Amino acid sequence: MTSPSTNDVIDTVLGLDRFPDLQALREQRAKLKHLSQTSYQAALRPAEPRNFSYALRAALAARMAALWKSQELAAHFRALLEREEEGSGLASIADPGNGTEDPRLQAILAHVDLVTLSPKEATRAHIEKLLAAGLDDRDIVTLAGLIAFVNYQVLVVAGLKMLRDN
Amino acid sequence: MSQAVHEFTVEALDWKPYVKPVDVDTATAEQLDALKITPSNKKISDYVLVLANEPETLKERTPLFNDIMYSEGGLSRGGREIGALAASFVNRCIYCASVHAARYIQLEKRPEVVDEIYGSGLDANLPEFEQALFNFGVDLTAHPDNVGAYQFYHLREIGLDDLQILDLIHAVAIFGWANRLMHTLGEPHRLD
Repeated sequence: MTSPSTNDVIDTVLGLDRFPDLQALREQRAKLKHLSQTSYQAALRPAEPRNFSYALRAALAARMAALWKSQELAAHFRALLEREEEGSGLASIADPGNGTEDPRLQAILAHVDLVTLSPKEATRAHIEKLLAAGLDDRDIVTLAGLIAFVNYQVLVVAGLKMLRDN
Repeated sequence: MSQAVHEFTVEALDWKPYVKPVDVDTATAEQLDALKITPSNKKISDYVLVLANEPETLKERTPLFNDIMYSEGGLSRGGREIGALAASFVNRCIYCASVHAARYIQLEKRPEVVDEIYGSGLDANLPEFEQALFNFGVDLTAHPDNVGAYQFYHLREIGLDDLQILDLIHAVAIFGWANRLMHTLGEPHRLD
């Protein structure tokens, strides 16, 4: 494994190499910093992507970051998407303004948008829509986990920006 | 069958999933490995068994959650629970709120703080320390794209140092994660 400070996504998107004090502060919580990065790996590039390709994961993550206007993370995930196999085919859904004709993907995008911006509105009916669109139980947990992780990362980045800039 | 609970409470609740929990008897080696990290002295909850559908993620998430909420030094345990409660209140995760409201009361012996949050919501009028933490947690949860600098300066005014602020950010953020699982993958019920 290479040095965590050189490949930590949050440090990288916030340009913390130019803010050594904040980088040192994050190191005071080195364990959770490391686990945040391994959680990124598990959400975006798991060993078994199963029914959610790496490209789809990156595209959905870029969409969520864009929904919250988290420019740094959105740019990071769009760049990740470009590097993934078949990534170019999913570039349009990385933009929250765009939808799709594919019914399965349509259900996924609706859920991503809802749970990112208004998680309190989510009910059993939304899970039933995913099942009706052909997702299985594990797919639903996969999708919920990806949405939850990316939102966590958006919040951490937003909070760290307050510390960096104030 | 018991009724689902839709109002905030401090009573202990049951959580019923919308999707199938992993059956421990037929779980894969990877699932069992991910489940092992949770406290073994109590029954594994349906919530954790649902998450075990994705063992690679669960295996990282459990120790991350524990480190954010329980690490040594920095922000007080009660302060972290206020962050958890603020996020869960905005996201209306009734189950998460009930657990962390009860923890806060257990730690700080101040049920009136929870009563005020549950009763007055975003207009809650709290003691200065709790007010600053709650307002920042609400703002970060509801508008990560536009966190008020005022809320941030308020944390400095009450004397929080950078590590304490970092701990608060993580507590709020990990509930942005937890709420999006617990509130979307199942619902709370009264204990039978």
